[in-house]
Formats: sequence, structure tokens, C-alpha cells
Amino acid sequence: MKKKILIVGGGTAGTMTANNLAKKLMPEINQNEIEITMISNSSKHIYRPGAMYVAFHKSSGHEFIRDQRSLLMPEIDFFVDEAVDIQTESNFVKGKSGTNYHYDYLVLATGCEVAANRIPGLEEGGDWFYNYEGAKKIAKKFEKLKKGRVLVTINFPKTPNIPHQCGIAPVETTMMLHDYLTEKGIRDDIEIIYTYPKHAQTVEDGLFLQTPTSNVLPSIFDSINVKYKTSFTLNKVDPDNKIAYSEEGEELSFDILMATPPFEAAKVIRDSGLSSSLDNEGWLPTNKQTLKVEGLDNVYTLGDTVDLSVSKAGGTIHNQTDVVADNIAAEIRYGYPTESYDGKVIAVAQMGLTCGMPLWYDYKEDVQPTPCSKLGSFVRLGFNKGLYWAAARGML
Amino acid sequence: MSEEIKVAKTAEMQQIEDKMTMLVQTGRIDNLIDLLAVVSDQIEMTTTPMVEKVVNSVDNLATVGFITENAVRYAKRETDNNEIPSLFGLLKLMKDEESRKGLAFMLNLTKGIGKQL
Repeated sequence: MKKKILIVGGGTAGTMTANNLAKKLMPEINQNEIEITMISNSSKHIYRPGAMYVAFHKSSGHEFIRDQRSLLMPEIDFFVDEAVDIQTESNFVKGKSGTNYHYDYLVLATGCEVAANRIPGLEEGGDWFYNYEGAKKIAKKFEKLKKGRVLVTINFPKTPNIPHQCGIAPVETTMMLHDYLTEKGIRDDIEIIYTYPKHAQTVEDGLFLQTPTSNVLPSIFDSINVKYKTSFTLNKVDPDNKIAYSEEGEELSFDILMATPPFEAAKVIRDSGLSSSLDNEGWLPTNKQTLKVEGLDNVYTLGDTVDLSVSKAGGTIHNQTDVVADNIAAEIRYGYPTESYDGKVIAVAQMGLTCGMPLWYDYKEDVQPTPCSKLGSFVRLGFNKGLYWAAARGML
Repeated sequence: MSEEIKVAKTAEMQQIEDKMTMLVQTGRIDNLIDLLAVVSDQIEMTTTPMVEKVVNSVDNLATVGFITENAVRYAKRETDNNEIPSLFGLLKLMKDEESRKGLAFMLNLTKGIGKQL
């Protein structure tokens, strides 16, 4: 009997996993024993971190978008169809087209989305670089800005010990903003204030979600004249008077509010009843080792949808995808999973426009901050503009 | 004439000193310093647009590799799983839309090459 693997989501997690599965299961595919299907709500594949560069006019954006089909091996059947219902008891996912996609193994890789509407006034008064529409909007505002204040705010999910998307991004963009304004010759006329919420996973009253980095940030920010303030948990924005309010009872005015907004899982996950996260944020309860959805023996998940403490970023997915693919392959071949995710995250942080900092951590060890370098920035650029596509294709 | 100075040091530091002394005594240190200088100069002289262009070329090569590898594997599997087609069978293969798309691509490819000759 032919085994069916269904992957929902054509982002980084879904694409890498589909290709890695096809590679690992090639003997079975050659024997016509396996069928791999992907459904996605878009025919396009978007490299999300590219939006950060669009915000500072360092990319126009088109170079980060490709046809999804061109990134998938021909052994993978691909359909543009938005998943609207997940029936784990009957083993099928319903598409918006009305098609029911049956599976023996399911991979939920639907990512997360900006949910600015969870903070009153943030949609109208704030800006963000986590998607291309937002990045293009804030880029125009930066171009017009001649003097005033850019306020950086960060919101975490209400569900405990879960990060916002790409933990390092607010630091990266604050430093990129400093370089961008310096390049334009107007840095002295613009005040940058970086704020951080009171609770950031296990860190209290800090400036970052891991203690070692939180401890070095003051000296880095001092050296580039960025002001910083902890325990400012954004809970309301007055878009007309341009004032940000915190849960702690403080208020800060701004000319541009560069926010890391709240995020939530995709609607199909939030509606599925599979998650018990606070405020229906939708994070899937995930076994931190096997990457199975808790309580479901044939459903795996990875990437931004999970409820794990590690970063919601490509550098995480790149280390999770082989665990998921190996485990599904092992289940098909031996009847049980064999691999375990150690929480490894590897990335190069863009610390300013021309400086890159390699970083790595796992469940046991936090990031140890190191000085950034020009060479590090080239490695990051190389990944953004080329190596990413090879990684998505399962070539790297 | 150099004066001998005794300094308390760790065993690791002593090992590094011994190895460095060997490099100096054999004259290899000159080449290594030159090599490091060349590496450093390359980093200094490389610009962001240069990296983008090189990476773009690497990406193009990877894309060609991906398409070719996939197509060869697919073709081999189909050839292995099917009998050798007759002359009429060959024509029937062209009824398939993806085959025609591939053929059109190959013809456009020859045109693209022709334009450069």
C-alpha cells in the first residue's frame, strides 16, 4: 500500500522538508511506494528575512521571491490550495478548493503571521519589517525622516517561554537603522530608543531573550548612541498623537514606531483545536526531541508554528528539517522515529549594514556574543542572495 | 645578541612559542605573513556588490545543477520503468504537456545559445 506524506505550507520549513524527504526516500519513490504532496496558499516562495533589507533600501525585494514549483524536486506533487481544516482523526486536510488531502504522515509547516491587531492602535500607528508590505511602508517613512525619534518596541507571545519571530531581528534592525541614518548624514538629528519588555522568555528586565547577549547590549548601544530601556511592554498605541504606552504605566512619543508586533500561528492551526496556547495564539504543542505534535503519532511540525523556546527563524528550521525527514523515513522503514532535535540554531546576525556575527546555540547553551566582522556580513549576504535557495532545495 | 628573559607561562603558551620559533627559524614565517596579508587584502578589497554578483553566479550554477540532476533522475526512472517506445510511441510521448513544455524549453535554449554565437 502506497504511503502518503502531506506537507502543509510552502515556506522555508515546508520546502526544505519536502525536498529532504524526497531525497531520503528516493529508493521507496523509485519503487512507487511513497507519494509526497505539498499544498500551499501561494504559488510563490518568499524568503522572509529579505524584508529587513527592503526596510533600509538595500534590496528591492523581488530577488527574495521565486516560484514555489521551481524549488521543489519533481517527485513532489505541488498544489496551490489553502488548508482550511485539519482532521487528525480521519487523517486528511481539507483545502479551500474542496479537495480532501489524505495522508499517512502529515507535516504542519504553516509558519506564523504578524498580528498587530492584538495591540490596540499598533496597526495604525506602528510599522514593522517582518513582511514585504510592512518593509516597503517603513522604508518610505525612513526616506522622509529628517529629524525626530525612532522608537523600537518588541512584543512576545502571551504564552510563556515562546519567542517572537526571529529573536535577533530587533537588534539587527536597530543597528542597521543606525548605519542607514549615518550613511544619510542625519544620525545626529534622530534619536533611537530601543525598548524591551519586562518578560522575555526566561529573562526579566533585560534587553534580549538570552542573558549573555542581554548583558553585552548596553555597551554596544552606548558605542553607537542608541538609548535603551527595559521593562517597556507595549500594550497600547495612540496613532494620532504618536505615543506608545506600556503595561508598566510609562509612555514614549515617537515619529516612527519600529515594532516587533505580536505574532500568531496560521488561521487553519488556530481553528484546528490542536493548540492550547494562550489567547488562541495557535502554537502547536511539540515534542522538543521528535518534533511530533504531542498526542498525534503521525503528525510532525517544525519552524515558526511550534511552541518550543528556540528562535522562530530559518537557522532553526535548517536544523529541524532533517530530524523530521529522518524520523518520517525511519517510521516508514522501521516503524519508529530515530532522530532527536537538540535545539540547535545556527545563523549569521546582520549587526549593522556591513557587519555580520555568526551565532549558534541549542537547548543547553545560550548564544555567546562575538565581535561582528565584514567577512561575517559577506557570509550573510551570500546566504541571503544565493545559498538560501540551495538550502531550500535540500542541496545544503 | 638577544638577552634571555625567563617568564612564567602556561604549558600551552610554551607550545605556541616553540612552534612559532620553528616557523621563524625555518623562514616559513615570511610566507605565512605574506599569505595572511593577501587574505586580509582580499577581504578589504571585496565590496558588497562584488559579493552579490559572485553569489548570483553561484546561485545560477546551483539552479542548473538542481534542474539537471532532477531531470536526469526522472528520465532514468521513466526509462527503466517503461519499455523502449516504437517510432509511433515516441510521438505519443509528445502528447504529454510537460514533455512539450520541456521540448519547447530545449528549442528556446538553442535559440538563446544561437543569439550569442
